[in-house]
Amino acid sequence: MQIEHSELLWLDEQHEVSLDQLAELSALTQEELHQLVESGVLIPNNLTGGIWYFNSHCLVSIRKLSRLKQDFDLDANTLGLILAFLERIRMLEQQLSKT
Amino acid sequence: MKFKDYYETLGVTRTTSTDEIKKAYRKLAHQYHPDVSKDPAGEEKFKEIGEAYATLKDKEKRAAYDELGRHPTGEEFRPPPNWSGQQNGQAYSFDDIDLSDLFASFSKGNRHTQQSRRMPIPGQDYELTTQISLEDVYEGTTVELSFTVPEYDNQGQLKRVPHTFKARIPKGVTNGQKMLLRGKGGKGANGGKDGNFYLNISFLPHRLFRVSNHDLYIDLLLTPWEAALGATVKVPTLQGAVNLKVPAGTNSGTKLRIGKRGMPKHNHENGDLFAVTQIVVSANPTEQELALFKQLADVSTFNPRVHFE
Repeated sequence: MQIEHSELLWLDEQHEVSLDQLAELSALTQEELHQLVESGVLIPNNLTGGIWYFNSHCLVSIRKLSRLKQDFDLDANTLGLILAFLERIRMLEQQLSKT
Repeated sequence: MKFKDYYETLGVTRTTSTDEIKKAYRKLAHQYHPDVSKDPAGEEKFKEIGEAYATLKDKEKRAAYDELGRHPTGEEFRPPPNWSGQQNGQAYSFDDIDLSDLFASFSKGNRHTQQSRRMPIPGQDYELTTQISLEDVYEGTTVELSFTVPEYDNQGQLKRVPHTFKARIPKGVTNGQKMLLRGKGGKGANGGKDGNFYLNISFLPHRLFRVSNHDLYIDLLLTPWEAALGATVKVPTLQGAVNLKVPAGTNSGTKLRIGKRGMPKHNHENGDLFAVTQIVVSANPTEQELALFKQLADVSTFNPRVHFE
């Protein structure tokens, strides 16, 4: 079975996923994702208009968050706090890899 | 099937309460969770902890597990006849599955009402890291991915089924890049969606080049006279060697940029190659070389440590 380019979704800053896709792929509910957006830790590329789209790289952190939620029974407030820390760690690691 | 002592994994006894089991799990999860711990062995350890907790936190699963009796960890065993964990009274072959598959299927099958039996169950996600050489990344390549997943066969028996598929890795990937192959994970049940497959790209170390995003770095070793007088030297790139002009008076640590000879980007452009100079001397100089260096030392007024004074 050959899988072509179109079947690959790149998880980076150039590609996007919709709110529906993010919920489906991360196993977080749309309500939980809405709360993360409202608390300002998850920022759609188009906050003001229509269906929300996010950089696909955020799926990496959101999936991690989903696993942590499941494995540690985390509540909605804690999810926001952890996502903020995960993003901070991701950015610091990115900076570190450039030095 | 090999026995696993879930109580031992969580460091509890067979009489420990569910609350205490939860506490023990949380303590170990903080220590070994792969998203929290940097322990390289943490991921495997956490899988064992998670598997043990998933069974022992659930009253019915725990009772079914206890019915299996006590065995040393790793000992081959078969569940007793009429074991309550058998799905819908159907016998398992137990040949190709392990204890975690058994209890995962138990939650999907044994306790199901008519209604819940029809509930869609999504397939499991899988994640794999594949290592690719820089040459293959440069050209784009196809990787073959193999993994085994627990699946029900036509007789309704749970078996580990090998899956292999090929994925085309296009030009432009970066080290550590993650990709998603939708629907290539575990099979969903009762109309549930198939799981996804997450592919992590890791570059194999190269004998000459180091990678930083789309740029490449190479150590360019120079003799003292090449550095002092300037030279044109041949530098390898992934597209073949190029001639690089080293300016006179080049010091160690200078980065000489060779444009567009780095790794390809999504937009079909390329990163750059940086040759990082390093001035080296021979460990076995000839008599004549030593004499010439001595002569240079005698006439030179250059003091690189003037700022020490």
